[in-house]
Amino acid sequence: MITLLKNAKLIDPAHGKDGVKEDIYIRDGRIIAKPGDSEKINQTIDLNGKIVMAGAIDMHSHIGGGKVNIARMMLPEYQETKRYTEPEAHICSPSCTHNATPSTTDTGMRYIEMGYTAAFEPAILAINARQAHLEMGDTPMIDKGGYAMLGNDDYFLRLLAGKADQKAINDYVAWTLHATQTIGIKVVNPGGISAFKFNQRRLNLDENNVHYQVTPRQILQSLSRAVNELGIAKPLHVHCNNLGAAGNFQTTLDTMGASDGIPMHLTHIQFHSYGTEGDKKFSSAAAQIAQALNSNKHISADVGQILFGQTVTASGDNMMQHLNAKIANPKKSVIMDIECDAGCGVVPFKYRDQNYVNALQWAIGLEIFLSVEDPWRIFLTTDHPNGAPFTSYPHLIRLLMDKSFRNDAFAKLNLDAQAMSNLTSLNREYSLYEIATMTRAAAAKLIGLQDRGHLGVGAAADITVYTDQEDKEAMFSKPDYVFKDGELVVKDGKVVKVVWGKTHTTKPAYDAGVEKGLKDYFDQYHTIQLDNFKISNDEIAQDGRNQVIDHYKN
Amino acid sequence: MQTISSPQNVLATCPACGLLCDDVAVSWQSADAKPAVTLKSGKPCAKAIAFFSSPLKTTSPMIAGKPVSLADALGRVAELTAAAQSPLIAGLSTDLAGFRAAYPFAQKIKAEMMHMNVQSSLRNTKVLQSTGWQTTTLTEVKNRADMIVLIGTDVVSHNPRFFERAVWVDDAMFTDPSARKIVYLGGDDLDVAPGLSPVGVQPTVMPCATKYLPEVTAALRALLQGKTLKVDAVAGVAVSALDQLVEQLKQAKYAVLVWVAKDLDFPHAELTIQNITESVAILNQHSRAMGLALGGSDGDTTVNYAHTWLDGLTLGEHTLDTHDLVIWVNSFSPDKPAPIVNKPVIVFGHPDTVFNTAPDVFIPIATPGLDAAGTLFRVDSSVVLPLKKVRETALPTLAEVMQQLEAKLA
Repeated sequence: MITLLKNAKLIDPAHGKDGVKEDIYIRDGRIIAKPGDSEKINQTIDLNGKIVMAGAIDMHSHIGGGKVNIARMMLPEYQETKRYTEPEAHICSPSCTHNATPSTTDTGMRYIEMGYTAAFEPAILAINARQAHLEMGDTPMIDKGGYAMLGNDDYFLRLLAGKADQKAINDYVAWTLHATQTIGIKVVNPGGISAFKFNQRRLNLDENNVHYQVTPRQILQSLSRAVNELGIAKPLHVHCNNLGAAGNFQTTLDTMGASDGIPMHLTHIQFHSYGTEGDKKFSSAAAQIAQALNSNKHISADVGQILFGQTVTASGDNMMQHLNAKIANPKKSVIMDIECDAGCGVVPFKYRDQNYVNALQWAIGLEIFLSVEDPWRIFLTTDHPNGAPFTSYPHLIRLLMDKSFRNDAFAKLNLDAQAMSNLTSLNREYSLYEIATMTRAAAAKLIGLQDRGHLGVGAAADITVYTDQEDKEAMFSKPDYVFKDGELVVKDGKVVKVVWGKTHTTKPAYDAGVEKGLKDYFDQYHTIQLDNFKISNDEIAQDGRNQVIDHYKN
Repeated sequence: MQTISSPQNVLATCPACGLLCDDVAVSWQSADAKPAVTLKSGKPCAKAIAFFSSPLKTTSPMIAGKPVSLADALGRVAELTAAAQSPLIAGLSTDLAGFRAAYPFAQKIKAEMMHMNVQSSLRNTKVLQSTGWQTTTLTEVKNRADMIVLIGTDVVSHNPRFFERAVWVDDAMFTDPSARKIVYLGGDDLDVAPGLSPVGVQPTVMPCATKYLPEVTAALRALLQGKTLKVDAVAGVAVSALDQLVEQLKQAKYAVLVWVAKDLDFPHAELTIQNITESVAILNQHSRAMGLALGGSDGDTTVNYAHTWLDGLTLGEHTLDTHDLVIWVNSFSPDKPAPIVNKPVIVFGHPDTVFNTAPDVFIPIATPGLDAAGTLFRVDSSVVLPLKKVRETALPTLAEVMQQLEAKLA
């Protein structure tokens, strides 16, 4: 069975193709070279020069696991806002349930309708990984994967405080990737979640966790080195200390230097780019952050753009979310300490364009997007649902691609915030090629998905077809066709076939002796058996769904 | 034919209460004998022993009390569901696989769903949806808690091994376990003996009837907020004693306030739970404290969570009156039979379920964690554990039955 997509206009940055007219052949879920004349073409779709990109990949989106489900449980009112009229955060297909906490079914459906074919849960608590995979397993249409959180777990902190050698750390990191079935390692507020359990309320990069007497910098050094030495593609995913705090940009700049040149990815960097200038002691440090990103080639970042409207923030950073709970809207929140492993904080927010801080946060995110030069190192995210629901991506893409649209939106903001932003002086408009880079080619490269994010021969046939339109929001809201692993699953923005996607992991080798120390630790201090901590492939891949793929390459 | 294939030993996970102890060794000397149920600590747990010693019965599906084939029973189920305008799937005592199968079935037949523990679960849900809360989990309690206040509960009536597994442990990372301070605040007919420390220190018991806990917890919350009470006692509890409790809570390095929603069985108990959770929130402004909701049974946590992610909303409460067919699920316990109602009843149940009135259809199903593998959430959330199959039976799982049923309905 061969499908031919005729007269495609390829935007495929992985192969440097920008609007190249080509035909694409698909067989058995893969893109193939042009078959011989004797081979039968079973299905031909003439695209008449429509834009063709690989399926988009969301490299940071909270789609499954404890804190997402707590948000759903805590906020039944979000399910009752289906005719929500605030457009900023709610641009999506007509069938969208219009809320920041979609069910697993809605999550998969809304993603594929926009032409996204994979999403990665960036904050899987190791102890909660089974739940995250259960939820992702019930998310149809797209591929899934996740990053396991380390760096606040007592096992790691005991190793680090005990001056364990790097090999012991590396083995533990590799073992964690296996046990949790994840593809990357994340650290959230390095050392801070643990410090909060000892009643510390803030932790700076070179400040000691009072119990372990180790600093966030040491944690970053140890974990980034482990990830690097194990040869995992995905650089250490770093949620810096001092999330959301005025003046935190200095922590962020310092963090870039903490790994001694080893690659790191700083996530939702918008929330970490705040200065203290002006009457309100809250200002944009986007220029400093962007400049540092431009010069520190070992650092990549995703933005975590905020968009106005109701949403909910769900983070592992219970230390900072406990502070944020004071400004919850509606006024409720969940803060948890979890299993000597990590924590979580779920706080609903309503971002308002007339609120000085919110308006400036919006501008800061866009300033970063427009000032970072290399689209291979800056990624399009809203930190779903923390900055806005992922369904607002088409709107965000238009803000990046359409200067007058952006400036019109800016002119409606809180006036004091306008005075503190240089956004209108930034004339850049993203091209389709740059959008395709940040949402496809670069995302796949960052995570280590060799056969996704591009349209070369051998790639998985995750393909999105758009009609080029002046209104980029309309264009990216409703693709003409989406193919998932070669199957036509979306036509004219509507799902026509339900599929289940795959689970992406990486499994570097480790010394089996690592389990000796872990077994002793679990028997003595934990409340479950070590064997039950580990998740098998069979638990994830059931009934032909969610097949586990190991991307580790020696 | 239902037999144990051969004598065997399994390190099992016990679903008999919300703690999901996964250190339960179950072993058979012979196929006919009851298994030996051994815990790591060497101490017995009545709930675990009862669960794993459940007799292996050959029970056939039945229509109106008469044995029939599974196919015939499912045929009758299909007829009844087709005739129903407004079915209710209740009981819902099952594991994750069972719920994942029951949810699309409910969608297909347009049934509402309700768990047998809905009333106690909703007490917690209402607090979560009103103010939220600040809570912790068992491993944190085990390693950090230096003060544990049990409010309106002894916990052990629900979770027999709470003290053994999370309190009086040999070693903890951040505190001396034997020095933990235990306080019982209120409750009826409590067993406070487990609160005795290994070095012989008695727990502090502040007696007050459960029905007075709304007043007493409100007083505790007010005192924590720094307010002055112009009385000497609240519902028989001396304010001076509450003052002392407040001082101890503030001094604690990691205080844990425990409740069991099922034990707070009075109108608007959610407001009492909120007094507890808001007391924790006040403490956390300067020191560290956390809440801990315990109890849990019959897969309630699992079913609530899975419904939330599949549906977007938590499971709610429904009255039997407004439904014309009741489909009852009790996988875990034979002692949770369907309610007696004047309408058709279908039971997917434990094979040992005894009926006073035979339901229209009874289909015996495998018990997860005993007859079948499975998955459950622990009561404190976050931790999800695999259940093991520890013996061979011919009984189908709920999911298998639902799949067959779906084929019949298609």
